[in-house]
Amino acid sequence: MPSKTITLGKSELRKDAWAKATGAAQYVADIKHEDLRYGAVVRSTVHHGRLVAVDASAAQEAPGVLRVITGGDIPGEKAFGALVHDQPPLVVDLIRHLGEPIAVVIAETKAAAERAAKLVEVEYEAIEPVHDPQEAVAPEAPRLYTEGNLISHYEIKDGDVASGFAEADIVLEDTFSVPLVSPAYLETENAVARWNADDTLTVWVSSQHPFTDQLEIAATLGIPAEKVQVKSAVIGGAFGGKEDASIAILAALAAWAVKGTVKLVNSRQESFWAHPKRHPAQIELKLGAKKDGTFVALQAKAHVDTGAFASYGPAVGIILTETLAGSYRVPNVDLETVVAYTNNPLAGAMRGFGSPQSHFAIESMVDMLAVELGLDTVEVRRKNILRVGDKMFTGVIVNETANSLPECLSHAEEVLKRFEAIEPTAGKVAGSGLALVMQSMGLGAKVPDDSTQGLEWLPDGSVAVHLGSPDLGQGLTMIAEQIAAETLELPYEQVKSIDLDTWRSPNGNVTCASRMTYMVGNALVDAAEQLKSQMLAQAARLLNQPQDRLTYQGGEVVTAGGERIAVKEIVSRAADDGIALQSEATFSFPYPEETTPQHLPIGMPHVLFCFGAQIARVEVDPELGTVDVTHLAAVHDVGRVISRPGVEGQIEGGAAMGVGYALFESMDLKPDGGWVDNFTEYLIPTSKDMPPSFENIILEIPEESGPFGAKGIGEVTVPPTAPAVANAVYDAIGVRVKSLPLTPEKLIHIRSNAE
Amino acid sequence: MKSIQISFVVNGKAVTLSSAPNRTLLEILRDDLGLTGAKDACGGEGECGACTVIMDGAAINACLVFIGQADGSSVETIEGLEDNGNLHPLQRTFVEAGAVQCGYCTPGVIMASKALLDENPNPSNVEIREGLSGNLCRCTGYVKIVEAVRMAAEEISHA
Repeated sequence: MPSKTITLGKSELRKDAWAKATGAAQYVADIKHEDLRYGAVVRSTVHHGRLVAVDASAAQEAPGVLRVITGGDIPGEKAFGALVHDQPPLVVDLIRHLGEPIAVVIAETKAAAERAAKLVEVEYEAIEPVHDPQEAVAPEAPRLYTEGNLISHYEIKDGDVASGFAEADIVLEDTFSVPLVSPAYLETENAVARWNADDTLTVWVSSQHPFTDQLEIAATLGIPAEKVQVKSAVIGGAFGGKEDASIAILAALAAWAVKGTVKLVNSRQESFWAHPKRHPAQIELKLGAKKDGTFVALQAKAHVDTGAFASYGPAVGIILTETLAGSYRVPNVDLETVVAYTNNPLAGAMRGFGSPQSHFAIESMVDMLAVELGLDTVEVRRKNILRVGDKMFTGVIVNETANSLPECLSHAEEVLKRFEAIEPTAGKVAGSGLALVMQSMGLGAKVPDDSTQGLEWLPDGSVAVHLGSPDLGQGLTMIAEQIAAETLELPYEQVKSIDLDTWRSPNGNVTCASRMTYMVGNALVDAAEQLKSQMLAQAARLLNQPQDRLTYQGGEVVTAGGERIAVKEIVSRAADDGIALQSEATFSFPYPEETTPQHLPIGMPHVLFCFGAQIARVEVDPELGTVDVTHLAAVHDVGRVISRPGVEGQIEGGAAMGVGYALFESMDLKPDGGWVDNFTEYLIPTSKDMPPSFENIILEIPEESGPFGAKGIGEVTVPPTAPAVANAVYDAIGVRVKSLPLTPEKLIHIRSNAE
Repeated sequence: MKSIQISFVVNGKAVTLSSAPNRTLLEILRDDLGLTGAKDACGGEGECGACTVIMDGAAINACLVFIGQADGSSVETIEGLEDNGNLHPLQRTFVEAGAVQCGYCTPGVIMASKALLDENPNPSNVEIREGLSGNLCRCTGYVKIVEAVRMAAEEISHA
């Protein structure tokens, strides 16, 4: 590892930020098109029902309307989905949730499309809905699918949980619940599709997986995938919720239907209804420990609600199960997770992917255990944390990155002391709390997990990164450019990314699972090494010297005689001879064969982990039950810092999402039968809700298999916040809230019941 | 619906146009004038601040202003902040502080910050948080946004 870096670890400026700060950045809805048409989606007004008839005649006759399409018009596949093809782009017969798309009205203006959409008459035969995952798997429950509502059932056992509980001095049992929450990125889902004169289709998307969109669009239209070009526009946030092709498919269908260009933009309400959110869950935990706090047994049963469609629900259930014991070694476990369909809006991938749910449960319970035993919360954790070489209940041997756990705890202990010394504001009661976190990277064992990235040396000496995975806004392009620049020994300014286009870019696979720095970085290190070899080969040819007498040093080729030739000279002379310097490399996530036992489902286990701790200080108003998070400290091990502001931005943003999860966010079913589906009722943190004091403590324990030792940071920042806040609230007023969010009503209710 | 005639100033330039009266300033800016920096992120409910522009000196949600209400006004948008090719200090400090991630809220946050600094050139961190509380950001946790506004305030006051 170079002791002195060119760009690594520095505070480089994001190149895309300039266009974003001047308003010039082009998101899907900003791009200008000739003869643009607009689509409006007609959505179901019932939670569950049979579609009897759609009468679009009045809409079809309305001024400016070109066409109305329904499920019957779909020429190809009638359903799509990431893991299970269960999601119809437009309802064909059964309506499974409120707000499900039934028809698309295509018109000359947005206003005309929206007016006409109201004229579409939909006849339903209502069916009793089921909204609770435990009720949904009962035999008498109304079925969303003929096979029933159970989608996944995982059971993992290790050791002997009965004898574990028998030797325990204390056993705690409780149920924790977490709500349905929305990624609530600022840019709602949107897409523009253009049917081209040569019967190909171009689609502009705001998506985490343009290459998947390409396949799903082609399947829906029944055309070859190579006829579909998907282009990534600037993306206004994603957080997992844009691993879903539905709006791109609808825009593509509309463009195909009118043989033109059609734009579809979800309203905020439609975004709440129609796109993947974080799974709500009910988690029963039973934890047994010795008097000294050593865990001896853990039993858990989780019910996870994926809503009307599977989306990534089965995979979320896996990570939830894997993280039920958090960052702790427990010799005897019996863990069971049930993922069920309900008539709720779909849940799917969202930052944390099952781990925010399980961490709220286990990290709350660890504090409850410490209180019961009269032990220090840091000490109980220190006694039980995973150590390097431990074999987890999934069979995975924990690698050196577990060395970060004791460090996280030492920092947490120091921070807690500082927080506890701060005097509370008059009339408020202060408390501090801690939570640890373990978040996996990668898609999981036996899931194909490859990423291909490309590089090209341009005649002006600069290097283009042909990024095969979209930047969601988190700064992937900067990280990719820095890693390529570092490997090629070039200044960051000389490396620039090219926008993703499925007809031109390598397939870098979906942007998700905290694995982009790792996957893209590793592929680019390889591609850069290849590019350097190509450079030397061209230099040898052009200079007529043996290649082994030439070396590459920081943008120059050096001859044995000490002559230095700038690379741009070689690239431009090679270009004159018709030779381009281009490389491509594929990195495949490494899964050791011995850690993938046959009885585990596909995707289990995950083998690489990010660890961290967050410490919250809160002030509670004992009369009103309101909670202010006044201080947050986040300790995270990132392996190696590529971009300091980039890492800090991920931590600060992730913790903000954690504060929302802790205190406000819940997409509830209202008494009137509708959902909380707007920013007036669904509150995400504002600048006033974030703690005035935010402290980043970033650890760098190298991950051997990562690029320059780096690993992921995207998701690990979310799960510890809510339990740290809940533990701080308990520390302040002795009220243990076991369901998120921690609303004033719950605090007051629990407290008055206790009195 | 009968069109109405509107005259107003956008980024220093006089603009006259006719529009249906039920269209908003945001729609006119984006669809008719091609100024797409201001965004619609909450469905035109005034809940997110992504469409914040400055109208006659005050930060407003352009999605809540019917175009008739803009008649005779002077409107500043993110596209008008550059001065003779020089970025406004806020535009620079937002980039330098790492306050820009997905960027969808950025134009609105910068315009709200400008209105804040125009009114109060040396705000405390509490005043910055207060002043920006109508602008939602889902990426940054606001830490670097507050830092960027602080940096710009210092730069402007030393200029």
